[in-house]
Amino acid sequence: MFSDAFDIIWTYREGFLAGLAVTLQLSAIIWTVGIAGGTALGWLAARHPRDWGVFVRTGAFLLGGLPILVLLFWLHYPAQAVFHVVIDPFITAAFTFTLVNVFAVSSLVREAIADFPTEYLTAARVCGLTSRQTLLQIQLPIILRQILPALLMSQVVMLHTTLFASLISVEEIFRVAQRINASIYKPVEIYTALGMFFLAVSLPVNGLAIYLKHKYTRNTSER
Amino acid sequence: MLRAEKISKSFGGNQVLQDVSVWIKPGTITTLIGPSGTGKTTLLRALAMTDAPDAGEITVDYKKYVFPLAHDQKLSPLPWPRVTAVFQQLFLWPHLSLRENILLPARNFPRTNMDVELNELIDVLEMKHFIDRFPNEASLGQRQRVALARALMLQPKYVLMDEVTSALDIEQVANILNFLPRLKERDIGVLIITHALNFARRAADTVLFMDHGQIVERGSFDLLDNPQTPRLQQFLAAIQAAQ
Repeated sequence: MFSDAFDIIWTYREGFLAGLAVTLQLSAIIWTVGIAGGTALGWLAARHPRDWGVFVRTGAFLLGGLPILVLLFWLHYPAQAVFHVVIDPFITAAFTFTLVNVFAVSSLVREAIADFPTEYLTAARVCGLTSRQTLLQIQLPIILRQILPALLMSQVVMLHTTLFASLISVEEIFRVAQRINASIYKPVEIYTALGMFFLAVSLPVNGLAIYLKHKYTRNTSER
Repeated sequence: MLRAEKISKSFGGNQVLQDVSVWIKPGTITTLIGPSGTGKTTLLRALAMTDAPDAGEITVDYKKYVFPLAHDQKLSPLPWPRVTAVFQQLFLWPHLSLRENILLPARNFPRTNMDVELNELIDVLEMKHFIDRFPNEASLGQRQRVALARALMLQPKYVLMDEVTSALDIEQVANILNFLPRLKERDIGVLIITHALNFARRAADTVLFMDHGQIVERGSFDLLDNPQTPRLQQFLAAIQAAQ
């Protein structure tokens, strides 16, 4: 089965690579904008819990309860019909998944900042550390250690979510696989090949998450 | 001198400090004793200005801070680490080794003999065998010594310590007692909250007894042998009975 899958990958390598390129392009947008925007929004939400905080909590709550596919379809079909616009499916998919990622990341960051033990900041103050030192050398390292594994795992989930983009005709790798299957009908081999592509991208990120978790998120509870 | 005048502090409707006035002279050691829940830690935090008092004045040498601060007013200049504190919960940063916990803030005050100073503290406080561990790998007594070393490496003028010997064994407490005169030689004013009366008696130039948010009695170290107020007599008798 695996040799057949490799044969199919080799035979249709151009199509697979083109699809993989679209998937990775989509993921790169979701990851970079999601992490940067989510971090900024999470920080704002923690600093201003009454306005930005409510906004982030509400957004995360609503998006968390809404299936991504429903949101994607809604933004692709009815929303564009209502506003009489036609938007490239790739842009719609990138916007939808990034929006979800921004709120997911912002929730992680907001909670990590809000739950940050203020005692560490008090200790920094009485030790004469500047605000900048406290942020860069105390607060950020502790928060990063806390959220990094969960953040990386959530980005793997976002990578897998890009499969939904095929349903609004984005030529990403899943759609390529479906088209190949439609012409040669070898679903086991084709979806095995697809799984191998995703494993090749996901496993390093998963591995990095596990490595960071073991390296940095030690049990810090004191004796 | 670190001088607090008529400090008051409430939490909700609970008045914890009522018009408390204390002063700590450079080169002296003051111990603060009293029953639990009487406001000792609140007073220490107020003096350290980490929890600003609701009312009163705190003067650090020649700089006066008047409370309450105006809405958008900040402490200026910042009193730390001229005034620094070692809290009961210690608050060591968990992502740094114990050595780095000491050195990170100390590097803001560079001097040529910093390594010598640190090594001296490591020797005096017997920290050599655990100094490169992380806080969660050290016992409470070890962390207490590190928190104390972190404060002392800042070259403070006043050090406020909350129960920093509570987890130390007799030998380590003796080391601290032997070390305290060196702080006096460096002209550092020290305030120590303690429940250990023998430690208070041996360490202190001045003893303060606090009850119900007020300083009830103050005097030299022999106050503990000659209490003047019935409340302190009662407190000391209760402790002796418990021992």
